[in-house]
Amino acid sequence: MSLIDLLALLPVLILAFGGTAILMVGAWYREPRPLLAGGIATALIGAVAAGMVPPPSLEIAGLFSAGGYARFFTILWALLAAAGLMVATRYIMEKRLGAGEYVSLVLYAAAGMALLSSATHLLGLFLALETFTLAFYILIASNRRCEMAAEAGLKYLLMGAVATGFMAFGIALIYASSGTLALPDAALRMTAAAGGLQPWGLLGWGLVLIAVGFKISLAPFHLWTPDVYQGAPAPVGGLLATGSKGAVVAALVGMLSLAGPVWHDLVDLLWLLAAVTMLAGALGALGQKNLKRLLAYSSVTHMGTLLVGLLCQNTEGLAATTFYVVVYAITSLGAFAVIASLADQRGEPMAFDEWRGLGYRHPVRSAVLVLILLSLAGLPGTAGFMAKFAVFQAALQSGYLGLVLIGVFASVVSFAFYLRVAMLLFQPEAPAVQRHAGTAPEHAVVAVCTAAVLVFGLFPGILFDLIGRLLP
Amino acid sequence: MTTALFYILGIILLAATLMCITRRNPVHAVIYLVAGFFALALMFYLLGAPLVAAWEVIVYAGAIMVLFLFIIMMLGLAPQEVPEGPGWQRWLPLALLSASLMACTLLLILEDPAAGQKVGGFYLAPQALGEALFGRYAMAVEMVSFQLLFATIGAYLLGRPLPKGEDQ
Repeated sequence: MSLIDLLALLPVLILAFGGTAILMVGAWYREPRPLLAGGIATALIGAVAAGMVPPPSLEIAGLFSAGGYARFFTILWALLAAAGLMVATRYIMEKRLGAGEYVSLVLYAAAGMALLSSATHLLGLFLALETFTLAFYILIASNRRCEMAAEAGLKYLLMGAVATGFMAFGIALIYASSGTLALPDAALRMTAAAGGLQPWGLLGWGLVLIAVGFKISLAPFHLWTPDVYQGAPAPVGGLLATGSKGAVVAALVGMLSLAGPVWHDLVDLLWLLAAVTMLAGALGALGQKNLKRLLAYSSVTHMGTLLVGLLCQNTEGLAATTFYVVVYAITSLGAFAVIASLADQRGEPMAFDEWRGLGYRHPVRSAVLVLILLSLAGLPGTAGFMAKFAVFQAALQSGYLGLVLIGVFASVVSFAFYLRVAMLLFQPEAPAVQRHAGTAPEHAVVAVCTAAVLVFGLFPGILFDLIGRLLP
Repeated sequence: MTTALFYILGIILLAATLMCITRRNPVHAVIYLVAGFFALALMFYLLGAPLVAAWEVIVYAGAIMVLFLFIIMMLGLAPQEVPEGPGWQRWLPLALLSASLMACTLLLILEDPAAGQKVGGFYLAPQALGEALFGRYAMAVEMVSFQLLFATIGAYLLGRPLPKGEDQ
């Protein structure tokens, strides 16, 4: 590691060492507000550093990239961490959690997600993935007074351990067949030079795909998602649904754009995964009676749709996928922020009965929630529609008509369950109890997410142009 | 010879790991895992990495497994009652595994009495390993050390007693 590497790594260093510094301060100074403010400031400084300080080299220690695409996601995850901390402020103070530990874990997770999105080496990919999942194991279970959180943490830990096993085995097989872990070569050499070892290399890529499937909850591997979302506190759930999945998808986009030929052998598998995932998510959500579980199934459907974009294997598909990741992250964070802002001493509103008639008590946040849910469903005019439209258009151009039909079917089904929540919220005959009024940081996050959903829905060109310039 | 040894060690490793995950008694499981680690260490030696083989024995089979045993005993997970039936039946699989491991080690010594350099056609000197770890892959080592730091924090955060007057 040289000074140039360290400079190129600056945003991640700010996040990681800033988090560690806050952890140290928090050991002696237990006042939560300054620690949280420090954490939010650190995340914002990291984002600014990623945007303003040009990296002296495009590669960090041979493991990570510091190119525009990597920097874009570094900024996104740093901002997400700041928003996650803003949403978590009241939760930390009410539950009397250690603010220092919580802040440092969120910043550390953001550093891991930023590294994962910029991985150009399978070793870097593996370590970055473990980095932020480790932080999430702890964050999910951080409220020791809640049994459901402990259960969710344990489930996520066990599933994560299984996924890690698949990932490590897959990477070992890829190495055995290609002789390298650096990303373009690990895939390119397999087709050319591997000879008889090529099937093992493909098996390795398949195992990596299974591990990725666990992390972003693709269909046969999605069963942990509703339980974990339900048990995890909403501020953590917001990060888990957006950052942890988005970072893995971003890494996949990077891998795919580098590693063309291998994926042609995996296309059928990806096709099947995408189709099953979209259907399982949409149909699974129909019977849910709990908003957080509903959001979990919704995320399963969205990850399936993302895979459709990845399948296209062209610039339009990758741009659409990246756009989708950003939009999904913003929208989903907004939904979890609304849930967190309504939490009071009775806990977070989750079951549908608790949402009934809430639109008359809290009209603004209920309306925002409806807008966010409609964006998740893909109502024209919202960012969610543009994201789905871009993905399906790229898929049609690449000739995946069947997948597009399945995706549209899943979207139509998803309208049914999102609209059900909207109807519950504004049901007149059942006036709900008053929930928490929310704090200024929570309202700010909700407002920013709502504004972004509308802006990217009406003017998607802003984001598309940016992504088009950054794609590797 | 080396190829044959590799497959024998592979079978031992798989058998030991299978026995490990099917045992009901955690102490027995740990002992089988140790046998598996020994087989793995010999495999690393066959691959031409004697230092990694030594670490496998010292760190995994030695330190970490002893830690496991400590934790099992501290938590009182080890069953107290003695199961029925003659003892040798329970220990026969482990004895077989250990005997085959011993035979493999002896064969390896016979094959390569000068220790290293000749077995696999590739030899990773400790110095080269250290240079790779702390030169080219320094960043990876730093990431792992960060992970260990946060794993410690997590263990402390989730394991410390709650303030007085609060139950779980």
